[in-house]
Amino acid sequence: MSSLTAYILKRLAQFVFVIFTGVTLAFLITNLSPVDPVEQSLTQLTSFGASDPRAVEMMRESLTELYGLQGNLLEQYLNFWGRVLHADFGPSLSAFPTPVTTLIANAAPWTIGLLLTSILITFVLGNLIGALAGYFRNSKLLKLLGIAIMTINPVPHYFIGLILLIVLGYVFPIFPISGGARMNMESGLNWAYIQSVLYHGFLPAFSLVLAGLGGWFIGMRSLVSNVVTDDYVIYAELAGVKRRKIFSQYVARNAMLPQLTGLAMQLGQIFGGTVIVEFLFNYPGMGRLLIQGIYRGDYSLVLGVTTISIFAVAVAVLLIDILYPLIDPRVKLG
Amino acid sequence: MKLRKLIVATIGAFAVAAPVVAQDFIAGLPREETLIIQGPAAQNADWFNLWAPGGGANPNGNQQLSADTLWFINPEGSGDTAWQNALAAARPEYNEDFTQMTVTLKDGIFWSDGEPFTAEDVVYTVETQIAHPGMNWSAPFTINVDSVEAPDDHTVVFNLKAPNSRFHTLFTVRWNAAWIMPEHVFSAVEDPLTYSFNPPVSLSAYEMENYDANGQWAIWKLRDDWERTSIGMTLDEAPDVKYVVYRTAGNPDARVIEQLNHNLDVINDIAPEGMFTIARDAAENTAQWLPGFPFAHPDPTLPSVILNNQLPELSDPKVRWALALLIDIRAVSMGSYRGAANIAALAVPPTGTSIPDYYEPMQEWLMNYELDTGESVIKPYNPDIADQIASLVTPQWGDTIPEDPDLRKRMFGFGWWQQNADAAAELLRSAGFTQNGNGWTTPDGEPFEMRLQVEGDNIPTLARAGTIIAQQWSMAGIPTEVVVAGPTHWQRIDVGDYDAAIAWTVETWGGHPDLSFFLESYHSDFLRPIGETQPPRNMQRWEHPELDRIVEANRMVGFDAPEVIELGQDLLKLAVDEMPMIPLMAYNKFAPFDTTYWTGFPSIENPYSASGPFWSNIRYMVVELEKNGND
Repeated sequence: MSSLTAYILKRLAQFVFVIFTGVTLAFLITNLSPVDPVEQSLTQLTSFGASDPRAVEMMRESLTELYGLQGNLLEQYLNFWGRVLHADFGPSLSAFPTPVTTLIANAAPWTIGLLLTSILITFVLGNLIGALAGYFRNSKLLKLLGIAIMTINPVPHYFIGLILLIVLGYVFPIFPISGGARMNMESGLNWAYIQSVLYHGFLPAFSLVLAGLGGWFIGMRSLVSNVVTDDYVIYAELAGVKRRKIFSQYVARNAMLPQLTGLAMQLGQIFGGTVIVEFLFNYPGMGRLLIQGIYRGDYSLVLGVTTISIFAVAVAVLLIDILYPLIDPRVKLG
Repeated sequence: MKLRKLIVATIGAFAVAAPVVAQDFIAGLPREETLIIQGPAAQNADWFNLWAPGGGANPNGNQQLSADTLWFINPEGSGDTAWQNALAAARPEYNEDFTQMTVTLKDGIFWSDGEPFTAEDVVYTVETQIAHPGMNWSAPFTINVDSVEAPDDHTVVFNLKAPNSRFHTLFTVRWNAAWIMPEHVFSAVEDPLTYSFNPPVSLSAYEMENYDANGQWAIWKLRDDWERTSIGMTLDEAPDVKYVVYRTAGNPDARVIEQLNHNLDVINDIAPEGMFTIARDAAENTAQWLPGFPFAHPDPTLPSVILNNQLPELSDPKVRWALALLIDIRAVSMGSYRGAANIAALAVPPTGTSIPDYYEPMQEWLMNYELDTGESVIKPYNPDIADQIASLVTPQWGDTIPEDPDLRKRMFGFGWWQQNADAAAELLRSAGFTQNGNGWTTPDGEPFEMRLQVEGDNIPTLARAGTIIAQQWSMAGIPTEVVVAGPTHWQRIDVGDYDAAIAWTVETWGGHPDLSFFLESYHSDFLRPIGETQPPRNMQRWEHPELDRIVEANRMVGFDAPEVIELGQDLLKLAVDEMPMIPLMAYNKFAPFDTTYWTGFPSIENPYSASGPFWSNIRYMVVELEKNGND
């Protein structure tokens, strides 16, 4: 067996183990939660009208059967794996009988669009400014930018979001503060709708970009600061290679490798959504869906979202592991 | 140079996007014909089947504007103005022993698809739900209904399995009730439990226009044949509101901003600070239940300190009374609602008809009420506390606090129990507790400590109230830990996993003195031991022979019989004697209206309708609103 094959097989085994462990833990945690979906439904039903206690008992039995919650934990666990392997998470318990996959399919595009865009923008900007600041250490403009980014960095992202919401949504009401697109528009790939989606997504995306910039900036500036003292960079400078070329071809390129790992990890986490930003801006994504599921004891929904997230992160890690030897020859295959 | 190009490109991109700002707020809808109401996110927005578990997207206008049933009770009304015949032409008629109920239906009502509404729809609704366990009203129909028949198109006769003078309440909306199913639609589907009912066929004045699959908004349009509906046939002319939009608006702060931006006409459940901001910054185009402080609309629910009566240390009424007397309600009102609370000493919320039926006639009894602490006899009721709260907020709100004592009572409540630490100590000693330094020991020799559970941020006012009460008990030598239970709050209460909790266990019709809304479930037949789920209401697990007598007597008298009020007063007196839970206040909700586009919202002066976005009674408000002339 070649070293490459052995390397890939080992990583695949790790991949399977991570998924099995992660999904099992997610199942146990949600099923051991004190929030009972049947009781949640009963509470909702009986909160708003006069209720006969005898009827409540009957409803409890009916709902338990309807939701498929009979059987012990092991039976439910095996059933769950049976469904997962068929990419079916069953009906949502809080939105019964709508399938969990339908709810996820509705919410996922919003989160993917928002997070993918903001992560990529944050990644490019943060690394670019960080690399420039690390290499051109005497630039006043870059120093100022660095100070600004470092000032924003410790501020929690929900606080940044709240400030943006108040300043750009109320004091200067330029941007909408709620929703994914304008109401009553025909959704689809038409310019008016895309324009509306971009417009509504601006504030949440901007808050994510501002909140995420610092991490990439600090990391990249630090990496570049180390690389610029390496022999090959000093040698290139002494050899009279243009600084622009040294920056792009020698410094930034080499410093980027660890950052790519971070990028892949972040992309893998997209399916979990960004709970606070989606809550703050009432954005119709996976984060909001997950919170609703947790609050209403909707095991199926919570497990659906977390299982997809676990798969996504595991796939991202697997891809990094497989691609890294191709990107960075210093990584050993053995 | 490149930086400049980048800036120019950014401005250019923004210029392309900016025209959206200038476009109308909701595509295709004239704002001056559209009422915008705050709604929750509908998780399964494609689902309009109100009769399946969870009710689908019911808080998005489906239940409020499109469904209909036999009767409504206006929770704000009193006497005849509270009862509203909807699909029924008159009140229910029972036979002598309450085993048969006959309903006469209105003539001339049609579904939005042109089919006539008949008695067959009502019969189908009941029979279908009985045949499908799991449907929302299946269990109560199964328990109560022996048979249901339609002798003609406009008469329905229910034969009941046992006497039940409250059977009609299953079809009587305060918030929710058994909505009538369209027989001609559901009889054609294979399984009513899994049928989405999309698009919904409307029985009321509005019908589905469009909705967001993500549950962010739903738009309802006035039916062309609005006169052929139960609400439409009561109107002289077409409602001004042509479109009703239910839309999500995010967290309470965002709701305030959206209303200040005129993007939400009706909002609900914001913090006192948000209400005060709107009252300060947008007074000229805002209306609310009360014209000035405290602005709030009191729901017919009763936030209380629910005490777990089945715990040995709380099983003695003396201990429960001691805990009540350690509370300074003024501090609770100021700390929770910043003074904008409507305090309640009786076990019914001080709203609607409870004021003339219970609070006003029982004032004298309360003032003369004597409590034997074991060492002395005191009169614990203080009728001046609401006045004292009014004085506390006067420096901030000045002239907006009226001098009229009757109006003050409507704003701040009647009286409450005077804080009395000495009497509380006497009661504890009388119950066998011993003072041990700064603390107390139970008769079992254990330190007397409490856990006071609150839900948390979801209802900030009540969480704050819990924190203040915990401080007051702790200062009196009963160390009290505040437990923030979040989404597990009600389930922990349900199974008795709490000592004390800030929640409600009493809800009333509001517009009717009958207390069956919660009273039936207070019977000891339904009591469960700690660890088992208690059926809804009686979360304090209170048991008393006199309580059973009252519940049983109430079952055997008619809904509108005068004995209802007498039995209600008996219950309230017993609840004062026993103090099973400590009533605090009405559940005041801050729900301001933006009057930029619409006027005529309900208020304490004109309480023609409930005003909360999710109350089905809001339909009566929607059709009464008038254009304000702005566009």
